[in-house]
Amino acid sequence: MSDTPRHIVSSYEQELNQLRALMARMGGLVENQTALAIQAILERNTESAQAAMEQDPEVDALEREVEARAIKLLALRAPLAQDLREIVSALKVTSDLERIGDYATNVAKRSMRLGPTTSDISLGGLRSMGRLVQESLRLAIDALGQNDKEKALDVWRSDKAVDEIYTAMFRELVTYMMEDPRNIGACTHLLFIAKNLERIGDHATNIAERVHYSVTGEMLPASRPRGGQPNVEAPVP
Amino acid sequence: MTTMQPTPTPRLATVHAGAADAGARTMIEIENLDFFYGASQALKDISIRFPERQVTGMIGPSGCGKSTLLRVLNRMYDLYPGQRATGKVMLDGENIIGPQVDASRLRSRVGMVFQKPTPFPMSIEANIAFGVKLHERLSRADMADRVEDALRRVALWDEVKDRLRANATGLSGGQQQRLCIARTIATRPEVILLDEPTSALDPISTARIEELLDELKRDFTIAIVTHNLQQAARCADQVAFFFMGELVEVDSAGAIFTAPKQKRTQDYITGRFG
Repeated sequence: MSDTPRHIVSSYEQELNQLRALMARMGGLVENQTALAIQAILERNTESAQAAMEQDPEVDALEREVEARAIKLLALRAPLAQDLREIVSALKVTSDLERIGDYATNVAKRSMRLGPTTSDISLGGLRSMGRLVQESLRLAIDALGQNDKEKALDVWRSDKAVDEIYTAMFRELVTYMMEDPRNIGACTHLLFIAKNLERIGDHATNIAERVHYSVTGEMLPASRPRGGQPNVEAPVP
Repeated sequence: MTTMQPTPTPRLATVHAGAADAGARTMIEIENLDFFYGASQALKDISIRFPERQVTGMIGPSGCGKSTLLRVLNRMYDLYPGQRATGKVMLDGENIIGPQVDASRLRSRVGMVFQKPTPFPMSIEANIAFGVKLHERLSRADMADRVEDALRRVALWDEVKDRLRANATGLSGGQQQRLCIARTIATRPEVILLDEPTSALDPISTARIEELLDELKRDFTIAIVTHNLQQAARCADQVAFFFMGELVEVDSAGAIFTAPKQKRTQDYITGRFG
């Protein structure tokens, strides 16, 4: 917020800036981890998968550092108003980012177990889903770094599209499994991968909600626009 | 293929933890109050209501007018020539800054506690009886009851019951301040004004006074001026932020300290002022 003056106590300002820098670093890492994981599935790229997995310990360490610094700020600075909202939001967002990192790691791990049978299975749905989730995550992290409530609202509204693709993919993969039981192993991995991507989208939306609260002081409603939920009974081969 | 569907703009919910009860009866209603120290205007067009049996916290930088407002509420300014107030300050339907108001009677309805404890150099018991005697004639037994009641209400009774005749100046700072609050409530006022009542006290004594405010608001309407924002957050139902003689914002403590509406309030309470 460019029109916000600096704190009179400069060490407080510095501590807040350090917290913001950590959040930005964590956001960047997680965004990269997610991109690598998606690349690993779509391109069968084990190096990308490995790289995504190797970033996870750093993401976890950053979460602990953000938590420690946020708790220290709460205890020692007794923050109020926008500072309070920003610090409390950082505590929640850091845990969303850590979860996104875990899901990206899971996606990367599963990509290495997919095996050759998946060559017959269309990855179009995953490609679309991956693109949407990456875009949501990028927007959410931009909103976080720039305190941009409009971008946060865009993310909040876009989660419905991710849900809808997930539902469509679910039906598609169950159909493959019903058509040929040899697909079950690969499709199960793909289902989990799709679910992990869908959860990444959910956490991106959580981040957007936190950013909106941090910037405006107003909570978005608990019920956000959602797509349909998969129905196991639905697919007919 | 999925397309992004437009969704309606969400309805927002603001979190107002501990919001003041907007439906409470108004004890004091100030309308368009101006106050002058000679030619210098210290309060500018203030309008605010003090809900009955709630704590109103007043915050703002030094010289912003918050203590001046307290001094208007019991006409302390009457004691100084050249100081004057215009507008309306309605206490139970009566404009207390009007010329017909008996300031002495008003002060029995609106008690005040100051920054530094101000016990009179007399016994604990006499300190409390002193104010009561100005307004009421009580038998010795009734007075003893009144003294005990006041001391119990400020949680000082158990500490001093065996030395009621001891000089009050021998009490600790925190005890002296509770004694001053007991002296104020012994006259059975409707409103209690507190001007930074804990700024000279240690944290434990401060906590005792804050706990006491929570008890006292069951029976009294309370206005407290404080420089300690956390204290305002802890004690007040509604908080008013003053700046350069103006009332910038008044809202529930939850709203002021988590999401103030005015930028000046936000900059002040986050320590970004000026």
